[in-house]
Amino acid sequence: MASKPIVNDEYQYGFNDGDVGVLKFQRGLTRQTVEEISRIKKEPKWMLDFRLHALDVFFKKPMPGWGGNLGTLNFDDIVYYVKPSENQGRTWEDVPQAIKDTFERLGIPEAERKFLAGVSAQYESEVVYHSIREDLKEKGIIFTDTDSALREYPELVREYFGTVIPPEDNKFAALNSAVWSGGSFVYIPKGVKTDIPLQAYFRINSENMGQFERTLIIAEEDSFGHYVEGCTAPIYSSESLHSAVVEILVKDGARMRYTTVQNWAPNVYNLVTKRAVAYKNATMEWVDGNIGSKLTMKYPSVYMVGEGAKGMVLSIAVAGKGQHQDTGAKMIHAAPHTTSTIVSKSISQHGGKTTYRGLVHFAPNAEEAKANVKCDTLIMDDDSTSDTIPYSEVSNANAEMEHEATVTKVSEEALFYLTSRGLSDEEATRMIILGFIEPFTRELPMEFAVEMNRLIKFEMEGAIG
Amino acid sequence: MAFTRVMKAAEVPSGQPTLVVLGDTEVALFRVEDEFYAIDDLCSHAEASLSEGEQYGYIVECPRHGGRFDIRTGKAKHFPAFSPVRTFPVKVEDGDVYIDVLD
Repeated sequence: MASKPIVNDEYQYGFNDGDVGVLKFQRGLTRQTVEEISRIKKEPKWMLDFRLHALDVFFKKPMPGWGGNLGTLNFDDIVYYVKPSENQGRTWEDVPQAIKDTFERLGIPEAERKFLAGVSAQYESEVVYHSIREDLKEKGIIFTDTDSALREYPELVREYFGTVIPPEDNKFAALNSAVWSGGSFVYIPKGVKTDIPLQAYFRINSENMGQFERTLIIAEEDSFGHYVEGCTAPIYSSESLHSAVVEILVKDGARMRYTTVQNWAPNVYNLVTKRAVAYKNATMEWVDGNIGSKLTMKYPSVYMVGEGAKGMVLSIAVAGKGQHQDTGAKMIHAAPHTTSTIVSKSISQHGGKTTYRGLVHFAPNAEEAKANVKCDTLIMDDDSTSDTIPYSEVSNANAEMEHEATVTKVSEEALFYLTSRGLSDEEATRMIILGFIEPFTRELPMEFAVEMNRLIKFEMEGAIG
Repeated sequence: MAFTRVMKAAEVPSGQPTLVVLGDTEVALFRVEDEFYAIDDLCSHAEASLSEGEQYGYIVECPRHGGRFDIRTGKAKHFPAFSPVRTFPVKVEDGDVYIDVLD
């Protein structure tokens, strides 16, 4: 089937602003790089020690021999720190013009005015703009960048930082732990609920840039919060690296939702570690959309360590020409009566490759725990591929595990049915694709759902048959 | 199984784990000053040898993913580890260390 791309192959956010940074490191990573980052940020000694230890771990750990092709990723060619401006803005007027123009083009200030509870905008290594609505601040919600949090709430950061994902976890978690900069810190006090999203926006501008934001979210007992992140970058012929670590603690009875719409440029390696711990009767929900990047390796996980905890991952991956989305989820049932749901949707087209890689683990004490995994794949043409690699580890005889997987093309029968009702081929295909991804888009805030549908453009004219 | 002699107490280094193999059971033996503890050598999280890890007092850190265990109770103390490892009785008699690997 010769088709036009389902997702518009033209990347709309590929512009760059030239060199706007006030400080840019030389390429490459040494002990001095790490010491200098820590010195610029005037960090406490324990953080410098944490970074240096993580750097040792990074150098020691081998590259992963599984997943996507990391062959062209050269750690010596990456710029590990770029400071975009002298100070962080509290109003958009404070942000340097070139950077502000970028975020205007991405629609961030407008979105903030319309529907967001707080906004954090990271450009290169640092957060350049930050705001939170006064009423949420008064309720005790903390939403700031992680560097500021380390200065303003040192005890909170020290108590939780690195406790969910230690540097030893994997090579890229170690790298992030050594050179992290920016990211969000969210603290929701006991019993405080807010369903208006807090949003972070991440933008890479320089060539060969490495962005290593570090996010830490603490949802205290019986609280509820929703955090949304988006990301874009310019297109360069050489590779950039985005390697984030996101740690989330969801305390007893709390609920946290973390939504990602990842739309990196097709030259960005996106190697991210995201993990949440859910305590008694807590609920953690990951809503994860991967549209961009050259290679994404990301498996959001939920460690359900308290009785009755719930985990959910709802993800969509779209891989076009030259792209590999190696994504999935991990659900760790480490307490009785825990339940988890994974719904993974993927679309590959124009030689793209999608991989679902997931783990469901039932510890010996996971009495009457339940897991449901559903993977649906749509392969649009003969050049594209998809793999489903589910792992199940069951150490409890009373646990219940369900797994369903489907791999389909756009069904001729469904097309025939719809066209016989008067729809054109393009309209029919579009309707089928929209229906395929609808379980994902319906979980997005309205403005993001609109954005998602815009990203997934169905230029299918003359494509079928 | 009963207590089995493994080595001289004086030979067990303090603050650094030692691998001991008893039949089919691989044990990580620890010494904190004059106290001795024995736990499963295999990490409960993924395949790794805890005797190759770093010891910080009563805590051992798995060399592979950074999970930590209390060597006195076997309990997991740090993610990504969450399940406990087994502990084994240890005694010192006449300057020799004995471990009972139970079955």
